[in-house]
Amino acid sequence: MSDDNVSLVIDGRAVSAPPTASIIQAFSLSGGALVSNVGCMGQGVCGSCRCMVRRDGSRDVTMELGCETPVEAGMQVAFVSYFQPKRPHVYDLEALTDSWQILDAMDETFPQAKSCRHCGGCDRACPRGLDVQKGVEYAVLGDVQAAREVFTECIMCNLCTLACPERIRPNHLGLFIRRALAALTLRPQELMRRLRQIENGTLTVDTSTVDDTRS
Amino acid sequence: MTAIPYAEALDRYRANAGGFPLRPDDATIAELIAAYHPDSTGGKAIPLKIGVNAGMLCQPQVAALLQTNALIEDVDIAGAEILNTDILVIGGGGAGAAAALTAAGEGARVILATKLLLGDSNTVMAEGGIQAAVGDDDSPQRHFEDTFKAGHRAADKELVAQLALDGPDVIRWLIKLGMSFDVVGHRPFGGTLKRKTPGGATAPRILSYRDFTGLEMMRVLREAVGLHRGIQVMDRSPAVELLSDERGGCAGAVVYSLEHHRFVLVRARRTILATGGSGRLHLNGFPTSNHYGATADGLVLAYRMGAKLREMDSFQYHPTGIAHPAHLAGGLVSEAARSEGAKLVNGLGERFIDELKPRDVVASAILREIQEGRGVSRDGQTGVFLDVPGLVAAKPGILETTLISLAHLAKKCRIDPTAEPLLVTPTLHYQNGGVAIDTHGQSSVPGLFCVGEISGGIHGRNRMMGNALLDIISFGRRAGAHAAEARAEAYSSRAGIGHIHDWQRQLTLADLPLDARGPHVFPDYGNFDLVADAGIGPRAAE
Repeated sequence: MSDDNVSLVIDGRAVSAPPTASIIQAFSLSGGALVSNVGCMGQGVCGSCRCMVRRDGSRDVTMELGCETPVEAGMQVAFVSYFQPKRPHVYDLEALTDSWQILDAMDETFPQAKSCRHCGGCDRACPRGLDVQKGVEYAVLGDVQAAREVFTECIMCNLCTLACPERIRPNHLGLFIRRALAALTLRPQELMRRLRQIENGTLTVDTSTVDDTRS
Repeated sequence: MTAIPYAEALDRYRANAGGFPLRPDDATIAELIAAYHPDSTGGKAIPLKIGVNAGMLCQPQVAALLQTNALIEDVDIAGAEILNTDILVIGGGGAGAAAALTAAGEGARVILATKLLLGDSNTVMAEGGIQAAVGDDDSPQRHFEDTFKAGHRAADKELVAQLALDGPDVIRWLIKLGMSFDVVGHRPFGGTLKRKTPGGATAPRILSYRDFTGLEMMRVLREAVGLHRGIQVMDRSPAVELLSDERGGCAGAVVYSLEHHRFVLVRARRTILATGGSGRLHLNGFPTSNHYGATADGLVLAYRMGAKLREMDSFQYHPTGIAHPAHLAGGLVSEAARSEGAKLVNGLGERFIDELKPRDVVASAILREIQEGRGVSRDGQTGVFLDVPGLVAAKPGILETTLISLAHLAKKCRIDPTAEPLLVTPTLHYQNGGVAIDTHGQSSVPGLFCVGEISGGIHGRNRMMGNALLDIISFGRRAGAHAAEARAEAYSSRAGIGHIHDWQRQLTLADLPLDARGPHVFPDYGNFDLVADAGIGPRAAE
């Protein structure tokens, strides 16, 4: 270990690592068994390495992704481990066939959204810095396109769901709107044409057109 | 190996910015690949000693892993909990989710077991997009021909034809589940899908959602699986052995609960392996773009049970992995960047390859620059430049609207992507070969299906951009539907790990060590030891 290493604590384990290492890399280097809270290892898209971080000298706890956050001296880290929320919001997207019903279906599935108390807990919890609370507000107001946009880059880490005292489950609400809009409105014309050609048999693939000599 | 220092290379890059000369090249593609591709220059492929493919050439690290002893013995699973299901899906990525949703949609009871959490997979990391021949200037025939040729004509033609024909229906299926795709002019109904050209294609065929297509796909699939009443998800439950029946068929699997430190036997009428690839084995010492879980577990288990493999000496090194900074090495810059027009530039400020050639060609060309001293060296890391600033100049706003993940990555590299090029080098990306399957994803072992990266024969010896996201859904659905037909069949009368006794005999006869065990389940740096974790005591062979 080099003298440049920084010392920190990850899930109660004293760790020393180079300052360029991410929290996940530091944990692995320390010999800790890395069998959960890990996924894409640096791309920041799977949300599995969500963790609470407190920096030296600060009283604040921030929510971050361990694979994207470089270690700092004196940092304290706790993974938000294996968070499996119950699913109070059950819906069947296939049953939603009438696009006029989209707001009713949303209200029915996510009735708590109307009770948002604007505490901002979800915004503080989001490691991607999304305007989660605003997204919930747009949804309640029926501005589904704006709500859809807010959740465009959501990685479904569930931290906003964990943070919400009203059990709104904002990320799942956002995903419901995104899914409903795509399923009910996305009808690309060239795709529809191509599907018809394939399904009525006018378009097939002839495998004899290519020569098999390996190149 | 010499290289051009970063400061000097950056000066030359800036001097030529906007008009990098393309160096003439008289090497053929075959010569380039033979001389510089890691499949040829890395560890020499060796014949497998045992198993159904004995004699077939295989990458040496993979061969060593395939020829390991089982992790568990009979006594370890005595008294283990038994679960019964129609279909067992192993793997929680896109292929596993598609198979599970389709089988459950047919009325089968499904258990989906996954090593980490549902959705933790290479699927969620896919950026560039998914191929489907929807354009009027395109056809499934073209898609078939491009894919077959890019794979050096080594693929199974029937599989490729099926893949190409399935493309449009796969997109419709994904839209029905609620996945979004980019459309031109934001007109969803009756609009036109945005299309990009993958390296090696004769028509624009990549459909995408921004540059995080896999994230959009996986969050939709994950939600759909989680909401389906017919699917039971077992998180943190890697498969450590398959179960065999009295006729050598597959009867389910032994999964290990990382949470409860115990084994569970899942008996199933059909088993679908969707465990992905092998990038985390870091073949030939390369960094990888792969997900943490990509340790070839399913491949090892399938081969041990007698499933035929193919093209196990062929791996894909994605041309543009991050070279600098070192702690991000291997992270991927999507082919979407080159597809949009970004150029590759060496330390002399010149282009050296058509950036939209197939991946194995471009990767080989980059490695040639590095080996011949025209690479760029920074803090001990060597690569070539990816001219993102030039792309931004040509297409202002592209980092905000289209290459969002690329902008995020540049920030992590602490560079300004509008002013400074990224330093890139090939990264281990994809297992081209795998378990041989038919058009239903059926392997040569009765009852055992393999879909997604674990399977072989679709991509030949080189995969095109966008064909992986297509193959996982196309063949995942096919396997799910076909497997579900068995839901009324009787269970086989036996389900155990008897097949490992025959395997151990083969290991002994071939003078292979009994104390090398597999699959690895986690990479070396995961510091995981199943024997200690499960408390199953000393192994007989040790």
